[in-house]
Amino acid sequence: MAIKLQPIVEIVWVASFVVQLALCGILVIFGHFRRLPFFTLYVCLNLCQALFLYFIYQHYGDRSQVAYVAGWWSEAITLLARLFATIEILHLVLISYRGIWGLAWRLLAATSVVVLLFVSVGSWGNARQALIRADRGYHLIFAVALILCLAMIRYYFIHVDNAYKVLLVGFCFYSCVKILLNTVLYNFLNHLDSPYATVWQILAVSPYLIVLLFWGAALLHPLPTMREQQAVLPASIYGRISPEINLQLQAINKQLMNFWRIEGP
Amino acid sequence: MTVNYSLVIFAGSGLLLLLAMAWLAFSGTRRQEKVAGNGPLERECLHISRLPQIKQALANSDFVYLKEQGHPALAKRIRKERRRISLVYLACLRVEFEKLLHLARMVAVMSPNVAVAQEVQGLRLNFEFSCRYYLIYLRLVSGVAPLEAIGSLTNMVSALTVRMETAMSELGERAALSAELSPHNGGGLDAGG
Repeated sequence: MAIKLQPIVEIVWVASFVVQLALCGILVIFGHFRRLPFFTLYVCLNLCQALFLYFIYQHYGDRSQVAYVAGWWSEAITLLARLFATIEILHLVLISYRGIWGLAWRLLAATSVVVLLFVSVGSWGNARQALIRADRGYHLIFAVALILCLAMIRYYFIHVDNAYKVLLVGFCFYSCVKILLNTVLYNFLNHLDSPYATVWQILAVSPYLIVLLFWGAALLHPLPTMREQQAVLPASIYGRISPEINLQLQAINKQLMNFWRIEGP
Repeated sequence: MTVNYSLVIFAGSGLLLLLAMAWLAFSGTRRQEKVAGNGPLERECLHISRLPQIKQALANSDFVYLKEQGHPALAKRIRKERRRISLVYLACLRVEFEKLLHLARMVAVMSPNVAVAQEVQGLRLNFEFSCRYYLIYLRLVSGVAPLEAIGSLTNMVSALTVRMETAMSELGERAALSAELSPHNGGGLDAGG
């Protein structure tokens, strides 16, 4: 029953396993696991998943029902862990900005609901591809929410320390790649009688390997010290100033509109 | 056909997200530098407060006089100069607008509670301003915008700047007071911006 994996796939898997192991080591040796417990858990779970699936594939083959079920269940667990890891990093970035963190949290929730609706409509009516589409949907929600949060951080000129930036961008990059893989690869390669599973394995693991290398390099340095709470203004100041600024900005916009309508002499 | 439709949407979304991520990751914090910068435009914008003189320079009477006196070359040169002044002036107005937005963001960053509606409105206004700004910019470049209209717009922004400076100094005093009153506060007004 056991089917040997393609050598190239084995090489990629082993490389990924070694780098994940090294990353775990970095997280423990540098003490980052104290600041990033969920991220550490996510890396450990990925490591366990790789080991678990390797043995499943060795014993049952990579196209068996057991491998299919084991693969998707383990994936669901790591995806959940990834969600918590990302929220943890975002929280660390915005911990000094209580108001903006509250805003980010609501933005994440609202975006998730909207993209979930979009994904549901886009994936409607094909039960056979439900899992692959659910996976793609998850990554789409994840990437959109994360990019909006990054955009919001930029909008408010909030400084993101390099280590956290690399971690967030790594998550985002991998999700974007998975969206493309789940869409393009599935739609093309699956219909051309090609070695779909092998190509899939290589293309899914290789970007993750790159991300792991960047994460490892970023985490070789000490994490930034926790900053003090930046919210120094009483809540009433925001309640008074912000509507005032918006009113004035609105008035300038009206002036611009009038400017556009005024006829020349 | 359905597969292709889905493929285009999702593949396009994936590519767009990748591009957005790359832009956010590699573009740094240029906008902050731009707002806080002290470049040639910033120096030119110091004259934004000299509204009467600039309005006089933009007045139509000189232009009409030159045309009547039969100096077409000079009139042409003045027209070009006026257009240049108008464009610089419009850029200055944008700088003022950006400064105000920067203040709004600073207030939000330093506040313990931020209202979604207010922030969304600020974002929408910023978007609207940008669209209108570029429309007017194109109109000025193409030479169909009335120069007099800039005067009313400038009055508006100048008044707003004065009001916001007053508000921010008041805000600074209150923040300093709250920092003194709260023993656990470690931040400051200059933090986070």
